[in-house]
Amino acid sequence: MKRCYISDEHLNGFVEALMGRGPVIAPVAKQSRFVFEKLETVDDLMLDYDTTILPPKVAFFPTKQELVTFDGKEAKSCINPTDQVLFGVHPYDIKGIAMSDKFYTDSHVDENYMANRRATTIVGSSVQKHYKHAFFGSVCMEVEVIGHDMFLTRVAGGYVADVLTDKGEALLGLGQFGDATDAQAGEADQVNQAAMENCPEKLENTSAQIRDKMRSSFRSDVWEELSEDCFSCGSCNTVCPTCYCFDVQDEWGLDGVSATRCRTWDSCLTAEFSEVSVQGGCENFREQRAERFRHRFMRKAAYLNEQLGGPACVGCGRCSGACTADIANPVVVINKIMEQ
Amino acid sequence: MSCSCGSNAENVFLPKEAEIISAKKMTDTETHFSLRMKDGSTFDFEPGQIVEAGVFGFGEIPLGLSSSPTQTDSFELVVREVGKVSKALTELGEGDTMMIRGPMGKGFPLAELRGKDVLIVAGGIGLCPTRSLIRYIMARRDEFKKFTLFYGTRSPKELLFEEDLVEWRASDGVACLETVDQADESWKGNVGVITTLFEKAEGLDADTHVIICGPPVMYKFVIQKLVSIGIPHSNVFVDLERRMKCGIGKCGHCQINDKYVCLDGPVFRFSDIEELEEAI
Ligand code: SF4
Ligand code: SF4
Ligand code: FES
Repeated sequence: MKRCYISDEHLNGFVEALMGRGPVIAPVAKQSRFVFEKLETVDDLMLDYDTTILPPKVAFFPTKQELVTFDGKEAKSCINPTDQVLFGVHPYDIKGIAMSDKFYTDSHVDENYMANRRATTIVGSSVQKHYKHAFFGSVCMEVEVIGHDMFLTRVAGGYVADVLTDKGEALLGLGQFGDATDAQAGEADQVNQAAMENCPEKLENTSAQIRDKMRSSFRSDVWEELSEDCFSCGSCNTVCPTCYCFDVQDEWGLDGVSATRCRTWDSCLTAEFSEVSVQGGCENFREQRAERFRHRFMRKAAYLNEQLGGPACVGCGRCSGACTADIANPVVVINKIMEQ
Repeated sequence: MSCSCGSNAENVFLPKEAEIISAKKMTDTETHFSLRMKDGSTFDFEPGQIVEAGVFGFGEIPLGLSSSPTQTDSFELVVREVGKVSKALTELGEGDTMMIRGPMGKGFPLAELRGKDVLIVAGGIGLCPTRSLIRYIMARRDEFKKFTLFYGTRSPKELLFEEDLVEWRASDGVACLETVDQADESWKGNVGVITTLFEKAEGLDADTHVIICGPPVMYKFVIQKLVSIGIPHSNVFVDLERRMKCGIGKCGHCQINDKYVCLDGPVFRFSDIEELEEAI
C-alpha cells in the first residue's frame, strides 16, 4: 500500500479537481446534522462530521430508484451509471458498503445496484468526531474495511492518503500529493486506532457468542419486553447502512400508457412488510410488533452474522439516535440478550 | 416519469413478453392463462417453480406455474383476483401480452419422488401449483409408483380444472379423491375437511412421499394424519406462498426466519422448516 500526504492548503484543490471530473458525493451540513450530498462548492465539505442522517449507500442505491421503464410497447432497463466519487466515508460505512456489495451479488447479481457501485470511486476518511451512539470499535471486528480506493486520515497539518486500488492511484495526479513520512504514517495509524478505542458505546461479546445466543433466544419473552414501546415506524431500518430491503411499485407516466417500475427502501419493522395474500385471505407471518423487532435483530446478529462472519451491523449508532422510543440501540438490545 | 435508459443487459428486473394464447375464466375469481414467450424461446422450468407475472403500471405478483414442463409449446398460470395487480392480469385476454420474469426458486424434488408412491394434498387454489407436478407425473407415469391426489374445496362450484379431474379419475394407478366442505345438490362425493379423505385412501404407507399445498390451517391437521401413518416429516414437502417483490433474494419480503421463499422455496421439506415460527 502506498502512503501519501496532502497538506490542508492543498486539499481543497484536490477536491475541486475531483469535482471537475464528475459528481462528488460528500458529507455536508444539514441544520444540526450531516448528509451525503453532491458537493456544489468545496466549502460545503465537512470532513469533521460525526455521522450522516442516511448512510452513504444513497450514492448508488437511492431511496427511490427506477428499475425498468415501459413506453406502452416495450420495456427497457433503467441501468445508467454515472462515474462519481463518494468522498469522506467513515470506515464503519465502508464496511457497510462492502456488506451491501455482497448482499447484492450473492446468488443473483443485481446490476441496478452494482453498475452504480462500480462507477463509484470511494475515498474514505478517518473519524474526527464520534457520534454519541457510535460503537464501531466493538462490533463485527471480523469483517474487514475493504472496497474503498483511497483513505484519508487527519494528521497534523493535513491528511495521510492511503492508496488502495488502481482507481485510487489514478486520483493522485489530481492533487499535490507527496510521500508520507514515517512519522506521518505512524500518526495516522494512531489516529485510526484511537478512533476505534474511543467509541462512546461498546458491545461486550464476540460475533460468535452473539450469533449463538441470538439463535437460542428466539422464543424468549425478552423480545416482548424490549419492543413494548415500538411504533413500528421503521426508522431504525431506514437509517441503517446494512439494511437492504426494498419495495417495488409501478408509477404511471402522464400519458396514462407508459409506466416506470421503481424500488424504494422498505422496513421490516412496519406491519405491512410481511403481509401476504394467501388463498385470497390476508396473512401476516410477523404480525406482532415483538416478532418484527426480533426479526431485525435475528437477521443482523444471527442470520447474516452466519454468512458474513460477524453481525450485519457496523456500529454507526444511527438507529439508536433515530428511534423516538429509544429502544432500537443494538448495544442495549444485544447486551441485554447476552445477559439472559 | 421517464429515465434515460442504458442497455438492457443483465437487469434482473427486466421482464420478458409472453403472448396469451388463451384466457379462460374458471370460477368467479380464477382465470386460467395459457402463454408462450414472444421471442420464441421455450420456457424451461421445474414443476413447483414460480414466476413474477406483471402488467406495467400495476406491478408484479408471484405465481406458481400450473402446467408441466413436459408440455413445451406453452405454459400455464392461474390468477386469482384479489388485488390490483391480479385484477389487471385478469383483465388481459387472448392475444394480449403478459410480462414474465422467471422461473424462480426450487420446485418439487423430482429426483426424490421418482420410484416412490406419491400423495399430493391440495386445498383450494393449492391445486394450481401442484398441477404442474400432477401433470408431470401423468406424462411420465412409469417413473413414479402409486399416485394419490387429495383435493378439497369449500364448495363444488370452486372446483378447478374439472377436465383434468375427469382424466385423472379415469387413469390407471391413480387414486383421485375429492371432498368439499359444503355440498350442493349436484355433489355426489365426499363431504368434509380434507383429512376425512385419509379414511378412504388405500395403500398409503410410511414410505409415501407427500406434497401439501393449501391454506395454512390445513397443514397442521394433514401432517398429524401423516404422522399417524408413520410418514416422517422429511418425506413431506410443503409449497408456501409469500409476498415477493424481487424473486432474487434481495428485497426481504419473502423471508421466513433465515430462509427465502424465492430462493430456498417455494417448496420446502417440512423437516427443514417445522421449527421456524414464521413458516406456517
Ligand atoms: S425500534 Fe424504534 S425506530 Fe425501529 S420501528 Fe420501533 S420505534 Fe421505530
Ligand atoms: S443496526 Fe444500527 S448501529 Fe448497526 S449498522 Fe444499522 S444503524 Fe448502524
Ligand atoms: S422475493 Fe425478494 S427476497 Fe424473496
